[in-house]
Amino acid sequence: MDISILKSLKPLRILKQELLFKLNGWTVVSLLVGLFIFFPIGEILLSMNSQSSNWSHLKETVLFTYFLNSFILVFGTAFISLIFGVSSAWLISNYQFKYGKILEWALVLPLAIPTYIAAYAYFDILELFNPLLVWVRNNINIEAMQLLNDSLVYFVTILVMSSVLFPYIYLLARSAFLKQGKQLRDAAKTLGYNEKSVFWKIALPMARPAIIAGVSLVVMETLNDYGAVKHFGIPTFTSGIFRTWLGMGDLVGALQLSAVLIFFIFLLLALEKQARSRSKYHDSLHSKPMSKKIILNKNKSTAAIACCLTPLILGFVIPLFRLMSWAWISRDKASALVSIEMISNSLGLSIISSISIVLIALLLVFTSRYFNSYVINFSNRLATLGYSIPGAVIAIGILLFTAQINAVTNFVLTGSLVLLVFAYIVRYLAVACQPINAGIETNCDSLNNASKSLGSSTYTSLRLVNIPLIKNTLITAGLLVFIDIIKELPLTLILRPFNFETLSTATFDLSSQAQIIEASLPALCMIAVVLVPLVYLNYRLDNSR
Amino acid sequence: MNELLKLQNISKTFRKNNIDALKNISFECAKGDVISIVGSSGSGKSTLLRIIAGLEIPDEGEIILEKNKINGSGIYLAPEKRNCSLVFQDFALFPNMSVKENIFFGKNASKNKSMIDELIEFTRIKNLLERFPHEISGGQQQRVALVRALSINPALLLLDEPLSHLDHELKHQVRNELKNLIKKVGATVLMVTHDTEDAMYMANKVLVLNNGVVDQVDSPASIFNFPLNSYVAGLFGKTNILPFKDFPFLDHHFFDKDRNEDVVSIRPHEFKLIDGNSSVEKPQIKGRVVSVDSLGPFLEVSIDTGKFELIVHVDRNQKIETDHDLSFYIEKK
Repeated sequence: MDISILKSLKPLRILKQELLFKLNGWTVVSLLVGLFIFFPIGEILLSMNSQSSNWSHLKETVLFTYFLNSFILVFGTAFISLIFGVSSAWLISNYQFKYGKILEWALVLPLAIPTYIAAYAYFDILELFNPLLVWVRNNINIEAMQLLNDSLVYFVTILVMSSVLFPYIYLLARSAFLKQGKQLRDAAKTLGYNEKSVFWKIALPMARPAIIAGVSLVVMETLNDYGAVKHFGIPTFTSGIFRTWLGMGDLVGALQLSAVLIFFIFLLLALEKQARSRSKYHDSLHSKPMSKKIILNKNKSTAAIACCLTPLILGFVIPLFRLMSWAWISRDKASALVSIEMISNSLGLSIISSISIVLIALLLVFTSRYFNSYVINFSNRLATLGYSIPGAVIAIGILLFTAQINAVTNFVLTGSLVLLVFAYIVRYLAVACQPINAGIETNCDSLNNASKSLGSSTYTSLRLVNIPLIKNTLITAGLLVFIDIIKELPLTLILRPFNFETLSTATFDLSSQAQIIEASLPALCMIAVVLVPLVYLNYRLDNSR
Repeated sequence: MNELLKLQNISKTFRKNNIDALKNISFECAKGDVISIVGSSGSGKSTLLRIIAGLEIPDEGEIILEKNKINGSGIYLAPEKRNCSLVFQDFALFPNMSVKENIFFGKNASKNKSMIDELIEFTRIKNLLERFPHEISGGQQQRVALVRALSINPALLLLDEPLSHLDHELKHQVRNELKNLIKKVGATVLMVTHDTEDAMYMANKVLVLNNGVVDQVDSPASIFNFPLNSYVAGLFGKTNILPFKDFPFLDHHFFDKDRNEDVVSIRPHEFKLIDGNSSVEKPQIKGRVVSVDSLGPFLEVSIDTGKFELIVHVDRNQKIETDHDLSFYIEKK
């Protein structure tokens, strides 16, 4: 018999095993939950064939612009974030210099500032370039001025986004550099490489998978952004989806744009996966992690401080101080601008959603690992796709999905909080699944086998072995999701119930009405709420080392 | 025979790397048997144990435990429903539970309290009950893991490399304790080990796995003295694989695929040095000393007979020098 036929039978054999031996209450519930969460994304993929009457118009007029602008923003933001993130991570993990300890901790703080709030904080920055633009217009020509103006808009948007998104790369790169074996670097030095060569030839290639993972997070966040690009007037795919749907009233057109965007995202994910396929090279090194840092002299120390301070000042200090000064100006209107209801809406929604997401992630990940089920593993992958898809696209998928439920059940879900929580689950499930999966893999996999071997039920294993051992991971996962949800804008904006205000929607609404100064109050409240779990997570990350 | 476990044609291929981990494994285990499964790393011994425990599903074959089919065509009994328990290589003690909670964790363990108390006394872990796993030594952890596995009164006890985590000195002590414990409870045991000395010390039967295939199942003495192939012969210590045609007076021989001829396995200690003055009526082997190495209690001497090279072990008090001619006879049990 031809061996290739035997090989092709294997997936069938696995499927047979799954159906015969792994079908139980846990796997069936997990499969249904996973598929239910994937459904809104599936809806968009299924609607790819539908044709909008405006599609040819969109294709001829704006599609290329959306593509080009998104590409410029993604490429530029990824590049500058890469420079900010990798340089600061390398300095912090390898060198000892004044204020290094404080900077190590503080460099995560820009994560507390959503891209759209950073954009508001820099709303008038372009005015600084007016004299230059006037000079160019008077001395060259108006086209040159227009070109310079456009370039400045792109540059400022990219710089603003990079300064708040670089911590994704910083965190992962720092962790990778710290885990790298000291022995390897020592070996390179004994072979005649200096510090600079060690960085380029050893440390950077070894940390590549982690850095690429960080870059992909930055790319996803850039594509997801709606507030910042709208503020600086750059039409991208996400703002185009909003415009086509809400401005032109063309849902099918928005759907087609979403499908094109998803196609590009999947392409990026495939490239990322290929780039990360060598991660074994990185992980297989079991030598001792970096212990002693190199002490820098005064001049080098000053340069290192400047290098780490630049993104921190741009991404946290300037936005925070500007918001604080504006808040001081508008302090008299504080009670009108920020209500207790708004804060409790934000907190309540984020807490309920975070708990729901962590519980669902726990169920899906535990079932997949406990029963070693390929089917559940696959359905989990589908269910966690939402994190790589912009909020606006998910919102469309969810509205399509609920329209079908409404039609079948006469139960109107649209505009309800349940729908918004569901949307957050679709978008942020991956944020919780990732740490929980790592937690169970590290702490519980072999113990689960022991538990099974001692005759314990699945529920007993979950309750007495898994939950106590990954308690801290569950808290971490919950806090990560909480931070993301409280900052979230596009989904909340589209799916919130009528008259339901959160801190993010209030900030956006005020800034849309050119009330940037007033928008500082809800924005500051949001940053304060995000800072608490962020500081706690940072502290725990430090202690776990 | 009071048969407890029966495996028939068990096969398993891992999808990830397309490796045939086990190929048509069949053997039987009687009640009260202690069987050691040995083989070099990657031979499939741990996979076999995990399949019996229910932690892996075989692609083909049947397993019958206590006359119940637990694996077979369309049949798979979940690990928690099998009447067997597994002691893991790293002991897998629950770090969030005390020693006592670990021991009584098993399903229905509390119903076997008097038996467990007796085991706790026997293994001398009574004073450790309130401690946590990280607060006790490796040897103590091993005993706790054993008592925990026995707490559910399993029909079959599976041990996955139970001594590999222990240092040399502790290992001998724990091995002795383990043997006594197994004897005391009269357990039926399947033990995976890569250490052939442990295998022979602990078991009344040894199963040799080689690249996912059973090469030999026999008593430790038979496996050592009468291996069925070169792999089994080499696994249990140094040996000389020599052409049978040069030793026709030996009873036990086997076919060697690589050499494509019948061969015999003669261990270095089975060659006996003939003193120049004494006369021996047995067939003699003559050769020139190529090298002499002291290995502590004996000397390892390399001999060139002109046809083949031999390794022989002689008493360390013998004066042996290179380039001298020596004569040996063979004393096989």
